[in-house]
Amino acid sequence: MNSNTARALVGAGIVVVAVVLLIVLKSDNSDSSATTTKGVTTIVIKNGEPVGGIAQLTYNKGEEVRFKVDSDVSDEVHMHGYDIMKDVKAGGSVSFDFPATIEGVFEAELEGRKEQILELTVNP
Amino acid sequence: MSSILPIAHALIARKDLPVPAWLFAWAASIVLIVSFFALSVGWRTPRFEKDRWRPLSAGLSRALLSLPAQILYGAVGVFLLGVAIYAGLRGTEAPDRNFALTFLYVTTWLGFPLFSVFLGDVFRPFNPWRAAGRAVEGGFTALAGQRPAHLRYPEKLGRWPAAIGLLAVVWLEIVYGASGGVAVGLDPHAAAVAAVLYTGYTLVMMALFGVEQWCRTGEVFSVYFGMFGTLGCFGTKDGRLGTRRPFSAATKWATVPGSAAVVIASIASTSFDGAQEGAFKSALESTFNHLVDAGVGLTSALRLTDTIFMLLTFAGVALVYLIGVRGMAGVPGAPSFKKLRDGFAHTLIPIAFAYLVAHYFSLFVFQEQAQFTYLLSDPLGTGTTDLFGTASSGIDFRLLGANAIWYVQVGALVVGHVIGLTLAHDRATAYWGDYRQAARSQYWMLAVMVAFTCFGLYLLSVANA
Repeated sequence: MNSNTARALVGAGIVVVAVVLLIVLKSDNSDSSATTTKGVTTIVIKNGEPVGGIAQLTYNKGEEVRFKVDSDVSDEVHMHGYDIMKDVKAGGSVSFDFPATIEGVFEAELEGRKEQILELTVNP
Repeated sequence: MSSILPIAHALIARKDLPVPAWLFAWAASIVLIVSFFALSVGWRTPRFEKDRWRPLSAGLSRALLSLPAQILYGAVGVFLLGVAIYAGLRGTEAPDRNFALTFLYVTTWLGFPLFSVFLGDVFRPFNPWRAAGRAVEGGFTALAGQRPAHLRYPEKLGRWPAAIGLLAVVWLEIVYGASGGVAVGLDPHAAAVAAVLYTGYTLVMMALFGVEQWCRTGEVFSVYFGMFGTLGCFGTKDGRLGTRRPFSAATKWATVPGSAAVVIASIASTSFDGAQEGAFKSALESTFNHLVDAGVGLTSALRLTDTIFMLLTFAGVALVYLIGVRGMAGVPGAPSFKKLRDGFAHTLIPIAFAYLVAHYFSLFVFQEQAQFTYLLSDPLGTGTTDLFGTASSGIDFRLLGANAIWYVQVGALVVGHVIGLTLAHDRATAYWGDYRQAARSQYWMLAVMVAFTCFGLYLLSVANA
């Protein structure tokens, strides 16, 4: 291989990287992480599973996280990371209201069932 | 049917935020600029092939390497392995409350690479299997009056058993463990059973081939941690402790066949773990759904899907490296393909370490708080013991902010990239007498490293599991 082909290859490598960069930057603009959750989100639990799949909540640090769990099963809701546990009775509901102080992605589960019901994203 | 894959949670129900696009773009640009700068400033004679060995004082060496000291290190290793196995078998099923899983998969599996890259091979003295094997060998020699005879280790097999074992260790946690039905990873009982089986297998192999031979080529943890230890600056030579030039021991590491497979297995398994919740997510889901549609059970389909993709990742990483090697082989004056393949394998060790830091740094920091608080005081996780009064402490997730994590992750990848390039350049000047050809060969390794580093950055920017 002569040095011209080598240069061409390196050039091609840069083009590939540039394209990847472009795609990533472009796809990031439409990312939902830019918008944060407003108000109180209600998560409905039917037969021990969240209706409509795992709820996605996004906040910026310092905002107030608010959600309510309406459950048809009796269990304990565990907000990991923030380590908040609250019991919920079958047919009852339980409310969470706490400041988003810890950055990262955390989950809330029905602890007894090991069923994830919520993914909480806290951006810096 | 369409189904959402249950995802692997390595112990704690927390994930890092994806690296933001602007940081990704900056880091990738820095990688490219640094790489081209490196090409133009390269030195012309190898610098890392000689280790500049400086022995430490004889008294210190004697004290640290004396037989009683070695027995003590070994006993510590055997004791801790025993505690982990006991906790796994007798303790709670909750992986995050059981000493076993955090000790085996975080403290040991992630901790030894970290300390080894700076200090050298610190696992060797504490290796419980080596200690047990040496004790048996010593006892045999004393009783029989001669050293035990061993089979000749098949040269060609080299480090392949370690490479396959490495994949198996990671597979157990992120593939087998992820699909066990519990949300938080591998069942501690399964981890303990695996440790017992591995102990049996290792002791048999040591009996067949000899303790030191098996540690050099087959014992997964010796080979894997020892690989990172070659970057560190402490070592032993002729029974004496000493310091050496950092990275210099790495230049002699890959002389055993199969070494390239070990470092590739490391990069691949970390990549797969990072990609499964982001870059590979939709491909994994579609494969999983196809398998389920074809009548495969849910758990089997999940394990099969993950296993296939883990092996594909291994093949992909190997392919990128081998293309680079093939390219180098075409440069005039190049040694054989085989010599190049083995001769540049060590240049990937810094990349493998950078991948580890990028993917597990925050997990390590958070989970070690658990290790040294409630897991230490209540190793079985039964809530009934409090050995050191720290059983009720927890993990403080405020310790690291998202920004700190991002900079460490990206910084590790960039630094790993630079060290990898440095080692590759150095090796090229050793293999090619002509400097111009050496530099030309390095276009190829540069492309390989840019590919790995940018892929690593990309994984972080998609999903930071």
